[in-house]
Amino acid sequence: MDVIWDALRDAVELLFSGDGETFEIIALSLRISLTATAIAFAVGLPLGMLLAFGSFRGRRLALAAVHTGMGMPPVVVGLIVTVALWRSGPLGGLELLYTPSAMIVAQAAIGTPLVAGISAAALQQVDPDFRVQMQALGASRLRSLWAVAVEARLPLLAAVMAGFGAAVSEVGAAMMVGGNIAGETRVLTTAAVLETSKGNLALAVALGLILLLLAFAVNLVLTLAQQRGRP
Amino acid sequence: MSGPPLLELRGIVVRAGGRAILDVPELALAAAGVTAVLGANGAGKTTLLRVGGALIRPSAGDVLLDGAPATPAAIRRVSAAVLQRPLLRRATVRENAETGLRFHRVPRGEARRRAEEWLERLGVAHLAHRGAHTLSAGEAQRVSLARALALSPRLLLLDEPFANLDAPTRGELLVDLGEALAATGAAALLVTHDRHEAAALAEHLAILHAGELRQTGPTARVWAHPADADCARILGYDTVLEPEVAGRIMPNGGRPLALRAEDCAAAPPGTAGNGSALTISARLRRVLPLGSTSRVVAELDGRRLLATAPAPAPEWLAALGPGDPIDIRLEPERARPVGRRSTLREWR
Repeated sequence: MDVIWDALRDAVELLFSGDGETFEIIALSLRISLTATAIAFAVGLPLGMLLAFGSFRGRRLALAAVHTGMGMPPVVVGLIVTVALWRSGPLGGLELLYTPSAMIVAQAAIGTPLVAGISAAALQQVDPDFRVQMQALGASRLRSLWAVAVEARLPLLAAVMAGFGAAVSEVGAAMMVGGNIAGETRVLTTAAVLETSKGNLALAVALGLILLLLAFAVNLVLTLAQQRGRP
Repeated sequence: MSGPPLLELRGIVVRAGGRAILDVPELALAAAGVTAVLGANGAGKTTLLRVGGALIRPSAGDVLLDGAPATPAAIRRVSAAVLQRPLLRRATVRENAETGLRFHRVPRGEARRRAEEWLERLGVAHLAHRGAHTLSAGEAQRVSLARALALSPRLLLLDEPFANLDAPTRGELLVDLGEALAATGAAALLVTHDRHEAAALAEHLAILHAGELRQTGPTARVWAHPADADCARILGYDTVLEPEVAGRIMPNGGRPLALRAEDCAAAPPGTAGNGSALTISARLRRVLPLGSTSRVVAELDGRRLLATAPAPAPEWLAALGPGDPIDIRLEPERARPVGRRSTLREWR
């Protein structure tokens, strides 16, 4: 039990003591995961639209692939990104390995199938005639797609939340492509792993609590946007 | 008709699953007035409407706007459609009414003014701030109509606008829509399965049966002179007698005869009618009370023949049983000779 009380005390201390390193870790976690989520949404939503409304050979196969990607182990994504960014790898010239950018790429790769898969389901849930009706009122093809997306905004925001949740909580890929370098690529999850392995359980739990708090704060903002106008 | 028609369908064929589900050799809509396409469920009415609004591409044929071939975008610019179910956005009624105007890049202030004007005309202005998903079916349909009418389209496409409404709501909306259409001066294409709605709103009637356009013309003429037996049934002629049977009743030039139940009066067998009326000797099958009248189901050479009697059924009728002889009387001009099954191409 002491561990938990110590952890709570440590967490409060860490948050309110103005410890520079902790805030750096929190800020980096937020920056990486929010950017990754934005990318996952920017790529995943059009992909979801294509899978939902496109009529091309292999659409169902592609959809099944995306659904598989929704459960992709972060370690596998980390491995793929690592190999791609390895000095002698195809994208080695970019020198991105062990940088926050590499972590953004990995987390975006984890979030994109989630956003795409949930988006495709959300968009297909809208009455197929809805889009026809929008076009019948003068909407262009693109504008009518957008109208369908706005109509499905509740589940689409759920897709964003799922994407962010996956990005901010994963540790395997962040560790592999970021390297957990203090002050550079150390985020909440990798720091918690490190502290645990060092035996600093209280600090590790504190970091975990902060991570939960952070995830809650972001999801609260998104949920409030989603449920606007309802008690 | 002066000048080219606003919209013209030529040689339209729509195929699905290897068979033609729509075959419209020619259909023209003048710049003003309502044309109704009448047909049973599954006749291809919705498909026809969507071809007309450039919402689906036909397998063959052309859609002409002002006498010239037009792109789908050009057709959609001047038209607005109201699909069968009111498909409203998850937003307020007013935002919904503004939707089309915003698609057409009408400035916000003007869009709001025009939307409110049409909500008012369709009697739903008081709902402007309500969420669209809280509306009843009738209210939603009115908002859907206001949304389309607010665009001041040159061509309004209406897909069964009264379907899914209860009878009183339907009656009220029929009157309001009639007034609204007259006020816009736009051309309208109304597809419906209900001949009464078609007759109430349309100057021109087109009859669609099993995907084929069978007959077109001014409403009164089509109503009184069905091109063939299928058209007659769609127009509410309950009974179509085959030429051989019909020939025994009146000279018919070897053509089938179409009769409406309300024009056929049941009479006691063997009584003399007045001078001009035709008498058909049939056998009673059953009597159905319909409230204000009774429907008499009779049989003539194994064919069903519907007639009307007062309600409650008079004594003589109540005394008859199934299989008893009964006379059916009607004025000869009420029996309409119709063509044998024909396509529009032959009919014209």
